[in-house]
Amino acid sequence: MRDPSGFMRTEYEDLVEKGFDWKLRTLEGPSAPRCKVDGKDVIMLCSNNYLNLSNHPRLAAAAKKAIDTHGAGSGSVRPIAGNLDLHIEAEKAIARFKGTESALTYQTGFAANAGLIPQLAGKGDIIISDQLNHGSIIDGVRLTKADRGIFAHRDMGELERVLADADKKYEKILVVTDGVFSMDGDIQHMGEIQKLADEVGAMTFVDDAHGEGVIGPDGRGIGAHFGIAGKIDVEMGTFSKAYGVVGGLIAGSQDLVNYALNKSRTWLLSGSHPPAVAAAQLEAIKVLEEEPEHVKNLWDNTKYFKNELISMGYNCGDSETPITPVIVGESHKAKALSDRTFELGVFALPIVFPMVARDAARIRTMMNAGLTREDLDEALGAFEKAGKELEII
Amino acid sequence: MALLGFVVNPIAGMGGRVGLKGTDDVLDQALELGAEPIAPHRVQIFLTKLRSIMESRGIEEQIEWLTCAGTMGESDLKTNKTGSMTYEVVFSPGEPTSAEDTRLACKRFLEKDVGLIVFCGGDGTARDIWQTVGEKVPIIGIPSGVKMHSGVFGMNPEATAEIVASFVSGELDIAEGEILDLDEEKYRQGEWHIRLFGTARTPHEPTYVQVSKVQVEAVGEDAIKEEIAESIVEDMEDDPDMLFILGSGSTVGAVSKELGIDFSLLGVDAVVNKELIAKDVNESKLLELLDEHKKVKLVISPIGAQGFILGRGNLQLSPEVIKRIGIDNITIISPPAKLAQTPMLRVDTGDKELDEMFHEKQYLRVVFRYKTMKLVKIMK
Repeated sequence: MRDPSGFMRTEYEDLVEKGFDWKLRTLEGPSAPRCKVDGKDVIMLCSNNYLNLSNHPRLAAAAKKAIDTHGAGSGSVRPIAGNLDLHIEAEKAIARFKGTESALTYQTGFAANAGLIPQLAGKGDIIISDQLNHGSIIDGVRLTKADRGIFAHRDMGELERVLADADKKYEKILVVTDGVFSMDGDIQHMGEIQKLADEVGAMTFVDDAHGEGVIGPDGRGIGAHFGIAGKIDVEMGTFSKAYGVVGGLIAGSQDLVNYALNKSRTWLLSGSHPPAVAAAQLEAIKVLEEEPEHVKNLWDNTKYFKNELISMGYNCGDSETPITPVIVGESHKAKALSDRTFELGVFALPIVFPMVARDAARIRTMMNAGLTREDLDEALGAFEKAGKELEII
Repeated sequence: MALLGFVVNPIAGMGGRVGLKGTDDVLDQALELGAEPIAPHRVQIFLTKLRSIMESRGIEEQIEWLTCAGTMGESDLKTNKTGSMTYEVVFSPGEPTSAEDTRLACKRFLEKDVGLIVFCGGDGTARDIWQTVGEKVPIIGIPSGVKMHSGVFGMNPEATAEIVASFVSGELDIAEGEILDLDEEKYRQGEWHIRLFGTARTPHEPTYVQVSKVQVEAVGEDAIKEEIAESIVEDMEDDPDMLFILGSGSTVGAVSKELGIDFSLLGVDAVVNKELIAKDVNESKLLELLDEHKKVKLVISPIGAQGFILGRGNLQLSPEVIKRIGIDNITIISPPAKLAQTPMLRVDTGDKELDEMFHEKQYLRVVFRYKTMKLVKIMK
């Protein structure tokens, strides 16, 4: 007699034994620069809440007000009866902010990648990816019948060769890449990619999840950062990081939006965001347009924190963004450093082999605009103390 | 506790320094020409590096070596013994030592259920071990021979130490490694041909896929080969008239497995519309098939440690056959772990003009996952 669901326990126990299971930590209260995690007061250095907007009073007020005016839920998927005026307003704001003709929100960033990418290329086409692209892009690509080409991370010479090779053989060519890479915090050469793609008539798709609200003038994202706003075919992003809410988005031409909303199965078949979410999304964009200090604070904090870590003797890699890796080498060292800094009141996760090379295990820190200089000095003190104890610095 | 076999071919590599093509059967000649043993030094480098990696990575697993008396292992381990490494002599070779001793020692290792056999030698030693252990236990070589075409060696003794340390700490996957060696029969007729003898198992860096933002999962070699095979089978479905010539080795063999057809691991097979039309074909049969079929694709995989796609182990694919097929109709497939160890491709077709045609391409497309390819440089 077969055990219909026995595999669940067996596989879970296998993960636990290997130490690969997720041990969920609980945030007691809002995601804030200082918060309570599993009963312990910590300085938060691993959320994606770069601009500290998730608990911004204007966003919270807009969400509350939308519940009063529109209720708790949207009632349907957007194509049938769940398309709210708030959704439309949020999309107009995104297009305005990012300098594109149009925009469309998705239920999540993952839903945008997994729903749209498979509709952009099929049999006889090729999708060309940076080797370090995020898992949600990879899953989107997996859903297509298109061939896939890979270029070494940020290697424009290799991309050029792959494009030249593809030019002869395929009908449609799509280049897809992360904008900011979340392990090292480095930025894709998007200007160069757009130029190379234009030369052979390839489409471009950038996942700007870690760039929106962070890079470019006033945090307008990777298109604005490279002065090519509106030229990238698909600027994909998320409301769950710097924008402080939840939801995915794409920005580009009206043709893109018309096509995407008629073709993306994730979009067509999921219920739409509740009013509070859509209103908070809209307010997040307005805050960015009207309160430039958040982006400035984020960068000031990043520069201070990074410089101090480097002067202590830490290796912070090639990061160009508020993602600052503290590279310590062997995996056991990174885990020990993370455990010790947590004891000292800093919450940041270790990233070890095989996520990164064996000798490049690290603690990945993500800056928050709401951290004060005192907070940063306290976090730096923890890194200094733990680093010396463990003989890393 | 990791139980590992350790066997040293004490005369490995001695022929090379004095200009011989190997040391098998010509030791006396090598000694007369002034050859000196090089294996002990290579082993010394390996063991020193292994110890330092185990310490720096904090690997707590103990290694117990099972080995052979005297120069076939014991004397090297005796001088390099430490707390985390112990050894036991389980076999005593004759005097002088011979290939037969290597085979008998490996038999003992198998009886004792070792997890891995580490050896010091070249292609000849790898072949002796493979003849005994086949695919039962993975093997890894400290390169010390004259010929090292087989895919079961670290790049150098230090790299072998890295592999053994990672194996002991449970981080590696087991994958195929081809056993190649000089074809002695052809050599006696004055020809220098490297032949594919079979496939052994060897530790490899696994292929990882991202599960979540900070987690990845290793994908087994067989699953990857299956994925690649699916891509090729889809190509077959797209064009039922196309002749598919399938090269040797287990990566290409996975395509035949996917089709459910009988195939030759060491030879070349022909398939049309997913049906086997000729098995283990020679050059003249291939030329005949090429006369009969207008559209053709050749599917091959790099063979051995050095990234040869042609000229090693697949001599049926002669220059004339390749020219008739056309370089653009060659599909190269390789699992990513193997590709990571062979960053460059090579050809040695025996025809300078044809080799040059490959070199002019500079890069060749290699399929390494389902429908997924990258360009890999072809080395001059």
